[in-house]
Amino acid sequence: MDSLQGKNSNRRTRRLAALLASAAMLLPPANNACADAAPEQGVVSLKYLNYHDSQSGDTYKTAGMSRDRINVNALSLMVMVPVAGEWSVAMTCTEDSITGASPAHHGWGFPADSSSGASGELRYAGDLSVTRYFSKGTLSAGSSYSQESDYISRGISLSGTLSDGSKNTTISLGTAYNSDTVDLNKPAVIDSKKSESPRSKRVFSALFGVTQVMSQNDIMQIIVTWTHGKGYYSDPYKDPDVRPDMRRMFTFMTRWNHHFEAPDGTARLSYRYYTDTFGIRAHTLNVEYVQALPHGWEITPMVRYYSQSAADFYVPTGDDPFVAARVDGMQYYSGDQRLSAFGAFSYGVRVAKELGRSWMADVKYENYEQRYDWGISGRGDSGIPTFNARNIQIGLTRKL
Amino acid sequence: MERFGFRAMGGGCEIAVAEMEKEESKRLASLGIEEVNRIERKYSRYLPETVVSKINAQAGRNWTVCDEETVALLDYADTVWCSSGGLFDVTSGVLQRAWDFDRAAVPPQEKLLPLVKLVGWKQVERKASAVRLKQKGMQLDFGGICKEYAADAAALLLSGLGVRHGYVNLAGDIRVIGPKADGTSWTFGIRHPRKPEGLMASIPVTSGAIATSGDYERFFESEGQRYCHIINPVTGFPVMFWRSVTVLAPLAATAGSCATIAMLMEAEGLNFLKDSGFRYLAVDQAGRMYYNQ
Amino acid sequence: MMKMIAFSGVSLPALVIISALTGCSTVQPWEKQNLARPAMTFEGDRLDTGYTEHIYSSKEAASGGSGVRGGGCGCN
Repeated sequence: MDSLQGKNSNRRTRRLAALLASAAMLLPPANNACADAAPEQGVVSLKYLNYHDSQSGDTYKTAGMSRDRINVNALSLMVMVPVAGEWSVAMTCTEDSITGASPAHHGWGFPADSSSGASGELRYAGDLSVTRYFSKGTLSAGSSYSQESDYISRGISLSGTLSDGSKNTTISLGTAYNSDTVDLNKPAVIDSKKSESPRSKRVFSALFGVTQVMSQNDIMQIIVTWTHGKGYYSDPYKDPDVRPDMRRMFTFMTRWNHHFEAPDGTARLSYRYYTDTFGIRAHTLNVEYVQALPHGWEITPMVRYYSQSAADFYVPTGDDPFVAARVDGMQYYSGDQRLSAFGAFSYGVRVAKELGRSWMADVKYENYEQRYDWGISGRGDSGIPTFNARNIQIGLTRKL
Repeated sequence: MERFGFRAMGGGCEIAVAEMEKEESKRLASLGIEEVNRIERKYSRYLPETVVSKINAQAGRNWTVCDEETVALLDYADTVWCSSGGLFDVTSGVLQRAWDFDRAAVPPQEKLLPLVKLVGWKQVERKASAVRLKQKGMQLDFGGICKEYAADAAALLLSGLGVRHGYVNLAGDIRVIGPKADGTSWTFGIRHPRKPEGLMASIPVTSGAIATSGDYERFFESEGQRYCHIINPVTGFPVMFWRSVTVLAPLAATAGSCATIAMLMEAEGLNFLKDSGFRYLAVDQAGRMYYNQ
Repeated sequence: MMKMIAFSGVSLPALVIISALTGCSTVQPWEKQNLARPAMTFEGDRLDTGYTEHIYSSKEAASGGSGVRGGGCGCN
C-alpha cells in the first residue's frame, strides 16, 4: 500500500529521529533541576481474560474424575497519568465473573449444583497508587481493594527506590499491610465451619531488592520478600481442612534480561524460590523471548516450570480417591490439592502489534498443566487427577 | 578526493568525498547539499512558510501538529535544556530583537525585561506531537541546533549511499563520515578567536565530529566590552567568560550543543566539559587554553 | 525453630550476593539505548501480570516474589 517513496521517507525520518535521540543521550546528565524520570505520556489500557480449567482422570487410580471446573471472564482497565512532571498516578479496576467449582477434597467432592454451571460469582477489585519521582529515586504509596460475595481484601503499601548517580544500581524497599475478611455464613460453607461472625486475616510483608545493570545489554535483579500473616487460613468450603492460624513466607527471586543485538530480541529469565511455615518449598522457572518483527509486530513465546513440595499437614488420598481421607490425631490437616506435591508446566505465546503512533493491541495464549509426578522430587499424590488450564488475554492500549 | 564548497547556514560550507569516481562524488555531494538546504529551509525563523514560523505565528493561540522530524528536534531541545540547567533554551531567540549587532548599542533594561519574560522552555506546551507557545510574542529558534543537526543528517545520508571516506563541514561544525582513504585522520584547524584568518590549533580526527562555539562569530564591541551572539536566557545579556570552546564528540549535534552549553555556563563550563567525557579545548578571555588529552 | 534457621540460612546468602553485585559495571548514560526498551525493564504489562499472577497463586501454594502490592482473594 505504501509507495516506495513513502516507505523510504518514513525510514529516513525514523533514522533522523534516532540520530537526534542518540545525540541527546550523549549529553551529560543534569545534576540539578531536571529530576524528570517521570513518564512523559499517560497510558490507558483495557484487557479481557477468558480462562477455563479442567481436570482429567487419565490414570488407573483417577479414572472417572474428568470434568470441567472453572470458567472465568474478566475485564480490567488501567489508567496511568503523569502529573506535573514529578508525579504519576495509576489506577486499575477489574471485574471477574466466575462460574463452576473446585473440589472439596483432593480431586472430588464438588458441590451439588456445580455441574450445571449454576454457581456464579462476581468479584470486583481496584487499586490506586501514587508515585513521586526524585532525581535519585522514587517513592510510591498504594492501596488496593477486592470484594466478592464471601471475601473482602484491603491493602496498603509503601515502596521506594534509590539509585546511584549513573542509575546502574537501584535499591528497592517496600512494605505492605493487608487485611482480609472471610464471611462464614454462606450456604456452601462446611457446617462445622459455619459462623455468624466473619473471620479475618492480617498480613504484613516487606521487600528488599537490587537491580543492577551488568552491561549495555544485560540487566539483572534480585528480590527477597518476607511475609508474616495471622488469621484465618482454612478454606471454608473444603472438608477436611483446618490450617494453622499463622503463616510466614519467604521468597528469593532473581531475574535476568539479555538483549541480543543481531536478531533484535530480548531473553527474559526468572527464578523464584519460595518457602513457608506450612512446610512448602517451591521453585519457579520462567523463560521468555521477546522478538521484534517488522511493521511494529512483536512475538513472545514463553515457558514456565513450577514445582512444589507438600505442606506438612497435607493429607494424601487414601485407597479410594473419591472419599475424603481420615485425619485421626492431626492438629492441622487439609486435602486441598494445592497443598500437595506436584509439578506444572506451562507454555504460551504473546503477539503484539503497534497500531499507528498511539495504539497497541496484544493477544496472549497460555496453556498450563499440573501433574502429581512432575515435581522435582517426583513423588506426589497419585490420587490427584491431572489439572489443565488455558487462558486467552486480549488487550488494547493507548498512549495519551 | 573531491571537495565541494557551498554557502549555507550563514557561512562557508564544504563536503569532501574521497575514494569515489569524480562524477559519482559530485552526485553524492549535491544530494548532501540538498539535505542541508532542506533542513535550513524547513527550520528557518526568517522564511514565512517554515515549520518554525508556523509555530511562532500561533504563539499564545492554537496548537500546531508537528511531523516526526520536528518532534525529534523538540525532544532534543528539551534534553539540551535539561543538560544545561536551563541555559540552552531554544526560546531565547527573541532576545536578539534587543541585541541589534548592526547598531552596536547595549539595550536599556526597559527594552530587555519584557523580552526576557517571553523566554522559557517551560512555557512551551507539548501534547503528543503537537506544540504550543504559551505567550504571544514567544519564538522558537532552532538556530543553535540546526547547523550541527544538518551536518549529522548529511553525513548519515552520504554514508547510507556508500561514502566511506569524507566529511561534512558546515561553517566550522564538522562531522566526519569516515577517515582518509588510507585510514589516517583528517586534520581540522580551529579558528583563532582573535585573529580572523589565523588558526589556534590543528586537531586530527578519524571519526565523530568537532564543533566550535565562540564569541567572534557575531558581536559588537562597546566601551571595551565585547557583546556576542550567545545570550544567557536568564539575564538577557551575552556571555562573557570564554572566547571559544571546541568539543569533539561522536555526533555533531552533541559536540555543538556541548560547546554552546560550556559558553553559556561561563566559569562553570569547565566542569561541564570535564564531566562530559569528551575532548575539549576552551580559551578564556585572557587567552589561556584549557584542554584534556 | 528449625524453620527460623532455614529462613536465615537462605536470607543471609541472598544478602551477600546482593551486596557483591553492586561493584559490577559502569555503563555510561549514553550507552543505555538498549536498556531503555520496554522488554528490558522488569515492570511488564501491569494488567497481564495482574491476571497471570492471580491465576498462578490460586492454583499453586507459592505466591508473590516480585512485589508487595496487596490484593488477596478467596480464590478457589
